[in-house]
Amino acid sequence: MDTPSSLAIVALAALIHASFQLSLSVLTLLSGHAIGTKRSQAKVLRLSWGFIIGVGVMTLLVLSFISLLLLHSFGPVDAPLVVWATACGLVFGIGVAVWLFYFRKEKGTKLWIPRPLAEHLSDRSKATKHSVEAFSLGLTSVIGELIFILPSMIISALVLLELPSAWQLAGIAIYVVISLSGLLTVHSLIGSGHSISKIQKWREDNKSFLQFAGGSALVALGFFVYISKVVAEASGAL
Amino acid sequence: MHEGGPVLIVKRHGHGHHAVSEHFDREKMRSSIIAACLSCGVPTGHAESISRQITDEVEQWLADKFEVTSEDLRRTATHYLKTHHPDAAYLYEHHRSTL
Repeated sequence: MDTPSSLAIVALAALIHASFQLSLSVLTLLSGHAIGTKRSQAKVLRLSWGFIIGVGVMTLLVLSFISLLLLHSFGPVDAPLVVWATACGLVFGIGVAVWLFYFRKEKGTKLWIPRPLAEHLSDRSKATKHSVEAFSLGLTSVIGELIFILPSMIISALVLLELPSAWQLAGIAIYVVISLSGLLTVHSLIGSGHSISKIQKWREDNKSFLQFAGGSALVALGFFVYISKVVAEASGAL
Repeated sequence: MHEGGPVLIVKRHGHGHHAVSEHFDREKMRSSIIAACLSCGVPTGHAESISRQITDEVEQWLADKFEVTSEDLRRTATHYLKTHHPDAAYLYEHHRSTL
């Protein structure tokens, strides 16, 4: 794969990551509680920044860790096709699972994540008063949605390892920045005075579309990488 | 309120947990309504005024009751809040179903 195609795959995977909603829900709750307890707008934005930086740092760490793991397992050479095929299968499978299960079929934007974890994040978002707590909440919320974001991160790591070193760093930066785009959008909406209820209402009204788009994008990503990498190389080798 | 004292609010905590009850707390309800209003950009003074009115209306509704569930209480407060500020009512009703 050439560099632009590889970076395009990384960007698509990051966009899919950005479409997942757990961190957005936590940010909405965090900001809602902060505004509701009469904190200043500057304080609300500081908490929001702390949270977003926490999410960014954990995303960076997880992506780097997966890349390192793959590098140690297969060395600087290209990973075997069976690893690519497995990763594509995982992306495809999670895509179908997102279609079927992502949001719970009840009012609101409850997700199919373990209830104790959801309750913990909800309680912590209420109790968070300092930027450093918001930062650690951001770190935790990435762990909470790991099951959904792991496939796009594995594909990105596999693609990144094929690039020259400088482009690998650029690819990681592109992934992290694009994966934060949803959070940055909510942050700027809150900063510009939009009501939390309007943001939450929009999310609830469009949750079926978000679920369908996220699942479809994962299926498309898995299919595209499978064809462009696994099938192309396997047929070339014949 | 009924003559026997403050109304009991029955809360249920998820699967396999026992129901717990506590007395109706006017201040707790007021502060949660104020928080919902502030999150919708309502000025502080107006939010406090709305919360006082809603709490009064809820207390009137509770007057002849001995025990209600926390869901009933929330539903009733939401019903009254909707007439004052629909966006705040939405947030008040749904803040537990965000995650």
